[in-house]
Amino acid sequence: MTSLSISMRLVSFLAILLALVGCKNATKPQSGKPKIAIVISTQNNPWFVVLAESAKKRSTELGYEAVVFDSENDPTKETSHFDNIIASGYAAILFNPTDADGSVTNVRRAKTAGVPTFCMDREINATDAAVSQILSDNYSGCVTLGQYFVKQVGESGQYVELLGLVGDNNTWNRSKGFHSVVDRFPELKMVAQQSADFDRAKGLEVMEAMLQANPEIKAVFCGNDAMALGAYQALLAAGKDKQVKVFGFDGADDAVKLIAEGKIVATGMQFPKVMANTAAESADKYLKGERNLAQKIPVAVELVNQGNAEKFGNFGAEK
Amino acid sequence: MLIGRRWMIGTTIAIGTAVLLYFLPLFHVVPLSAKNAASSGDSSQLGTAAIGQAPQSIFESKAFVNEFWRQRLLPGSSDAVDASNLIDAIARDPREARKTYGRSVSVGSVYYYFIKGTGRVVSVEKNSIGLAIQDGQSRIQVSLEAGPIFGNAVRDGTGLLDLNNFANSQDFNAVSSEINRRIESDVQPMLRKFATMDAKILFVGCVEVTDESIDLQPLRVVPFIAESL
Repeated sequence: MTSLSISMRLVSFLAILLALVGCKNATKPQSGKPKIAIVISTQNNPWFVVLAESAKKRSTELGYEAVVFDSENDPTKETSHFDNIIASGYAAILFNPTDADGSVTNVRRAKTAGVPTFCMDREINATDAAVSQILSDNYSGCVTLGQYFVKQVGESGQYVELLGLVGDNNTWNRSKGFHSVVDRFPELKMVAQQSADFDRAKGLEVMEAMLQANPEIKAVFCGNDAMALGAYQALLAAGKDKQVKVFGFDGADDAVKLIAEGKIVATGMQFPKVMANTAAESADKYLKGERNLAQKIPVAVELVNQGNAEKFGNFGAEK
Repeated sequence: MLIGRRWMIGTTIAIGTAVLLYFLPLFHVVPLSAKNAASSGDSSQLGTAAIGQAPQSIFESKAFVNEFWRQRLLPGSSDAVDASNLIDAIARDPREARKTYGRSVSVGSVYYYFIKGTGRVVSVEKNSIGLAIQDGQSRIQVSLEAGPIFGNAVRDGTGLLDLNNFANSQDFNAVSSEINRRIESDVQPMLRKFATMDAKILFVGCVEVTDESIDLQPLRVVPFIAESL
């Protein structure tokens, strides 16, 4: 026997051994409890961290072993998580998708493999794939926010808008909801609109540039609270925090605190804990045999302003 | 000689494999748009979102609302609660009134009333018409919205439409916008015309309650029927 063939046999043996070990780990949870996978679009934002951690906590309370997978806003990573989850014997998936269209295939594959999926916060564009979708109504939330914007800023003047990720549905649901109100007032003029990718540092950068080009603005509408916090920092540094009213969206704790202090005007509370708990409880009911679950369960977005901010601490808590 | 023969066998196997793979490929490469269309499985509702654009829907909200308005909304008016009864119930116990007459469509504190009644005009503002509903009242008990309509009062307040019957929330929101547009174009101009002080008005509409401290007194009604009596 040559040394080459010995090496090849050794490699084959090790490969088979590794595969067997992998299968063993995948199919048998170490705790002996059924497993729930929590697939989150990104954990690079405190709001989504709260969504993931709340889903994990509630699943654990209900008797499951819960594991969080971070898709890092990358649909390819999300697909690979689903491959892993399907192969690893998970009982259910609590899912925050990266893409309303692109994520449908993953949910369908899980369904075919007998793994039920429950969407949280973000919708997929299919009604026959997930068991249930627990959704935050971004559009309606921003209609309410738009009405409050007009009330606070007035029916005339200049303002700017910071958009989120331009490829994300929620960016446009929020922007369209807001503009469905504000555009009805022709004297309210949007003089600049730019993406800051839902990111606080970029929000600061973009706001600085916008301020230099448009020193007369009265307000800024931001597609999430991270950008609103960045914009507020830029305004503070420029000494314009009293002149320019800041509006955000999400209900992040830092933003709610600044609203209570009168530094940011308003945000829309999306209740990540309520959505996560509802998703975990729906999965539990389904796994115990309940089949009468609504395909879509909307969760109302509520306006947070200085008058009611004290009710909305801790990400809206659990209502 | 032996090496030459091995080369010939190797080359023949390689060519044979290449021909086989050409006709029976291991995988297919398809354009991304075709892949998305196939995977969505719901072509009637979707357009694939291009980067930097809002997703395009081909749902015909105007046609949908035309039919809904005629066949379900107007005939459904009979299910609305009488305004006078609702005002009394709220005065007695707002929580009990909500339980008896209110309707919620989402997890949260927002709820709706589906309401009808007649009242006397006691105030005419730019964006609202104030009505006294009960005999002997001079204060505004119901405020009919006469300015721009926002929100989902009529879509969600009647109980006739369900998000679960729509492919996505954008279509459902488009229905709300179209109902509001229709109220502004078909109902409000007539309302403003005959809403003079002391005129009697019949109305049917919905109330969206987001903050009980300001939305219940007066009841702010988005009317989809308003007639002079």
